[in-house]
Amino acid sequence: MAASDMIQVKNLTKKFGRLTVLDNISTTFHAGEVVSVIGPSGGGKSTFLRCLNLLETPTSGQILFDGIDICDKKTDINLHRQKMGMVFQQFNLFENMNVMRNLTAAPIKIKKVPKEQAEEKAVALLKRVGLSDKAHSYPSQLSGGQKQRIAIVRALMMEPEVMLFDEPTSALDPEMIGEVLDVMKALAESGMSMIVVTHEMRFAREVSSRTLFLEGGHIEEDKPSHEFFAHPESPRLISFLHKVL
Amino acid sequence: MTFFVNVWTTLEKYYRFFLEGVQNTLIIAFFTVLFGTLLGILMAMAKLSGIKPLKWLATAYIEFFRGTPLMVQLMFIFYGLPMIGVSFPDVPFIENFQRFAAGIVAMSLNSCAYVAEVIRSGIQAVDVGQMEAARSLGFKKSQSMTLVILPQAIRNILPALGNEFVTVIKESSIVSVIGIADLMFRTNGVKAKNYKTLECLFIAAMIYFVLTFVSSRLISLMERRLRRGRK
Repeated sequence: MAASDMIQVKNLTKKFGRLTVLDNISTTFHAGEVVSVIGPSGGGKSTFLRCLNLLETPTSGQILFDGIDICDKKTDINLHRQKMGMVFQQFNLFENMNVMRNLTAAPIKIKKVPKEQAEEKAVALLKRVGLSDKAHSYPSQLSGGQKQRIAIVRALMMEPEVMLFDEPTSALDPEMIGEVLDVMKALAESGMSMIVVTHEMRFAREVSSRTLFLEGGHIEEDKPSHEFFAHPESPRLISFLHKVL
Repeated sequence: MTFFVNVWTTLEKYYRFFLEGVQNTLIIAFFTVLFGTLLGILMAMAKLSGIKPLKWLATAYIEFFRGTPLMVQLMFIFYGLPMIGVSFPDVPFIENFQRFAAGIVAMSLNSCAYVAEVIRSGIQAVDVGQMEAARSLGFKKSQSMTLVILPQAIRNILPALGNEFVTVIKESSIVSVIGIADLMFRTNGVKAKNYKTLECLFIAAMIYFVLTFVSSRLISLMERRLRRGRK
């Protein structure tokens, strides 16, 4: 294992009943990489991402995170999830907590960070995403774009090694997509490892270093982004790009 | 007009009977709500647990107790169980303990099935994304439950639970059939003495209504307090 092989996926298969959603997928994500995962709906993109932190349990195969098989029953998955931030399509901010508690609950309760220190960090991160004034708002008082930026900050509060994004802009009104993409772009530029399931082709092409095309449970194409979009090979990818670009 | 005069004279002469009945009705309802809620919480936890046999057992229990009449359950416990040697002991200084115990046990076992369903549906009504978000941050399942899910579920649970409490007060009238001197039992007693059937039933209905109305107002007051406490 090379030092930069952060996540190794080996022969990952996921079935829902008789339906095979992921079919024997293998790939590696390196530290510092920003990878976009694109493909048609129902192609298994989200399931693939959710398998990486075991929100879905793989039917078979291995997922090595920093060399440790997280599918192994003996592995404490809670420990590994702390190192993998996740951002959801539906934001999933805790409705019963204000923004500050949304951000600080996990560091305080899980990592035992002192409250003042956690809040200091939350204030700094909120400032970075332009939402300093929202610390005491409740999620129900925020717009979708604001919620998603806060969801990103919530994941960052745990200082993860990698951030997983599950269609982070798909539930947003068009005028709010930009503000979230800007935050993600800044995050990518800061060197964070990211795996992003997305329909935003511009983000895939311009921000991510590598793009995967997932269709029918297979990785049909896997290349550096500029090459991926300039010289697609698989006929399915070509027809997909033709439709969405 | 004579009807209301009769109501008045009945009350004047027998108010002690009715009050005693109210007292016993409230005792039965109080303990039923107490035990029913505690057992209901455990039952809901069992039904939501990942341990399959526990889940099946809880499901079977809930289905059975909601699917058979309270009257049958009550008679089964008071008349049926002693026949196979299971009976409640008589306790000195507490009159009729045996009957009260049977009444409260039957009603609690019945109510807990309904409470369990109220709690389960309240918890399951919370968006699954909330649990996933908590787990994705590294919270254990139990932590996610207490920090994120339950505080939101309470909002769904309280109103329905309040309904259940009011129902318990009304349903408790059934314990009169095993000779507990509750409001219904006393009403029947007075009726047998003065033959003023309609008046007596009218009085009983009014008293039950006051009891349920007052308690449902109290519960909604509490709900509003809780909601304001949130923010």
